[in-house]
Amino acid sequence: MDRRRIRVLLVEDEEIHRVVARVVLRAAGVEVEEAENGAEAVRHVRERVTGGGGAYDLILTDKQMPVMDGLEATRQIRAMGVVTPIVAVSSDSLPSDVQAFIAAGANDFAPKPLTKEKLGHILAKFGLA
Amino acid sequence: MAATMKLSTLGYAASMLSTGLLDEQFQKLLLLQDGSDPNFVVEIITLFCEDGERTIGELTKQLDKRCVNFDEVADFVHKLEGSSATVGAQRVKNACIQFLEFCKEKSRDGCLKTLDTLRVVFYDVSGKFKAMLQLEQQQAEATK
Repeated sequence: MDRRRIRVLLVEDEEIHRVVARVVLRAAGVEVEEAENGAEAVRHVRERVTGGGGAYDLILTDKQMPVMDGLEATRQIRAMGVVTPIVAVSSDSLPSDVQAFIAAGANDFAPKPLTKEKLGHILAKFGLA
Repeated sequence: MAATMKLSTLGYAASMLSTGLLDEQFQKLLLLQDGSDPNFVVEIITLFCEDGERTIGELTKQLDKRCVNFDEVADFVHKLEGSSATVGAQRVKNACIQFLEFCKEKSRDGCLKTLDTLRVVFYDVSGKFKAMLQLEQQQAEATK
């Protein structure tokens, strides 16, 4: 039986981080869609919810982004009733930053940069490995 | 171009690792590169050098203003901190961490002093990265 590929939404405004995360995710065999800010991410998620394309299996989001930051995007995605695991991947890794993301509705936090090891841990944690 | 970097280029990278200019994150990037994305490391290094130069220019402008917006300065430093962590440029990352402390204290003098340090360490590592890429390019052309 063919196993469906894991679908991940990567939310990141800076190209250097998107390039690295894309390679790490593809090496893990996941299907990657990208959004360059929180507003795009919310739109992508809404399209999947209303369009019947099937939810993302995982959302990885940065914090500081133009237009809409990761915290607000997380709140808006949760407000839609979406339960997809959301993991913040950010350089802002003080306890207060982590707590803010969890309070917004994120499930976990990983400091940048995304590595094979961190992704492996995330996928295993949410039963996606 | 070969899927992996030439041995001499790897040797160059190894010397940057042994002198503390780069940390193990750079080794992780090298290991990620494979045949499906042979220019991955070149792309990352190029982005780091270009973004870093632009950021240092912006920081110079911001700190030159009569009224410094330390939140804006911190945003720029934060971006460079992130990209230096991603590429394994340890000394640049450490300079950024120090810089952010002075931004929190709203100390223009502290920021200016740290910007000088940041410039030195950034141009040191970016210069060596560019030399490494040039070596890689020359070797690729020699084997055609």
